[in-house]
Amino acid sequence: MKSRKRWALKGTIVALCFLVAPAFGAGGEPPDSVRIDSLSHLYNGVDFDHELHVGVEEDCSVCHHHVFGNGVADKQCARCHSNSKGTTSVACRDCHVEDPFTVEYLTKMETDPNRYHVDITGLKGAYHLRCFTCHIEMEAPSECASCHERTDAGDRFYRSGKYAPTGGGTGGSHE
Amino acid sequence: MSGISRRKFLKSTVVAGGSAAAAMSSTKKAFAMKEFEGYPESMGVLVDLTRCIGCRTCEAACNKEHGLPEPALPFDDFSVFDQVFHEGKQKRRTTEKAYTVVNRYETKDQGAPVYRKLQCFHCSEPACLTSCFVNAYTKTKEGAVIYNADVCVGCRMCMVACPFSMPAYTYDSALHPQIIKCNFCYDSRLKNGKPPACVEACPQDALTFGHRKTLVKTAHERIKANPKKYVDHVYGETEVGGTSWMYLSSVPFDQVDFNTTLQHHPILDNTKSFLGIVPMVLGIWPAMFLGFHLLAKGGKGEKKDKESKNRVEVQGE
Repeated sequence: MKSRKRWALKGTIVALCFLVAPAFGAGGEPPDSVRIDSLSHLYNGVDFDHELHVGVEEDCSVCHHHVFGNGVADKQCARCHSNSKGTTSVACRDCHVEDPFTVEYLTKMETDPNRYHVDITGLKGAYHLRCFTCHIEMEAPSECASCHERTDAGDRFYRSGKYAPTGGGTGGSHE
Repeated sequence: MSGISRRKFLKSTVVAGGSAAAAMSSTKKAFAMKEFEGYPESMGVLVDLTRCIGCRTCEAACNKEHGLPEPALPFDDFSVFDQVFHEGKQKRRTTEKAYTVVNRYETKDQGAPVYRKLQCFHCSEPACLTSCFVNAYTKTKEGAVIYNADVCVGCRMCMVACPFSMPAYTYDSALHPQIIKCNFCYDSRLKNGKPPACVEACPQDALTFGHRKTLVKTAHERIKANPKKYVDHVYGETEVGGTSWMYLSSVPFDQVDFNTTLQHHPILDNTKSFLGIVPMVLGIWPAMFLGFHLLAKGGKGEKKDKESKNRVEVQGE
């Protein structure tokens, strides 16, 4: 079950690379929509409306750091990257890995003496920290389900909907 | 009072007391030299309260990972944040049914609420472990403080000793009551190099897993990069001698129910110097005084024996 999921995930990533990377890396137009579904066992994938968000925030660097070589929004980043050239990879997942807590990844971060950025959020964290923070600031929808619908597995995980507690149980000695 | 005068007795008592005090202070020094700074490869988790949004996904993940009992309310029910106990003085705590809970705080320093996740802090030198007289607790080299229900006698001393009031007890179990607390997912994850279930589930990366030593640096880097955002303190870096789970906050820690009066060295240190002389007093003193006694008595006894022997010999002649 687990390996099937992993293959499905890998398949999605490969598919996304084909969809996004060539169109973008080669200096093409930004995508209209990006499918985000690495969490899709608890929630359905998100069809991120990239075009809509480009309309809301014209400064690409707010989400994409310095990857286009046209300045940075964050003053902290500007200390080194104010004159940085554009990079070949621009998608979130190119730097924010899906599983940032594996032994291999932690070792890589800790042992490379030339690495400055050692505190990089995972892909899921990067998405949520960016999306959620902005949605709160802009008073955009900020419920979990406003962006992604929960699956049946998700309902079971949160003990919600048809899996809601049947009552009788207490929360423990302090409730 | 033929052999020893009152004055002599008092004198010797004072001398003995003085030497005991000297021994005590020297033991303290000896122990201080061998200070334990935690396992070098210890893992930890950095909880960044500025990132937590109170979604309770960590609570759900913990419940699933450990097969804990059904909660009273669904994990997406946020009315739990309004629950208070003990006449409104206390928010939710970890219980025998929940290794971890998230609480919401409306603080005066910040408009938006602050959420705090609570679980065992996995101290470098745990008070629960040192208070346990049957060694039911173990601090593993990976940093977890784990508990063995098979040897536990249910004295609940650990619950009293814990500076964070983390261990809970299954009072409703008549036959096999036991302590319930977060175990850092030691058996199912940590010992295989995997992060705890709550860390993996957190959508906001509010929980960062890594080597404790690295996390301390990471925490200070985050403060340095954003001095206006963070309070300049890493809770758990030095509290009670250091904990594997540490916190960063945007509001003073006491405003989100952290105990900011805790000592910055292990709780064990408070009793170490005293406990160090207990074996000496219990082991060496009886043997030493028995020796004195035998020497004193033995000498006289021999003399008597010789005298009586001589008498026998005389009679025999």
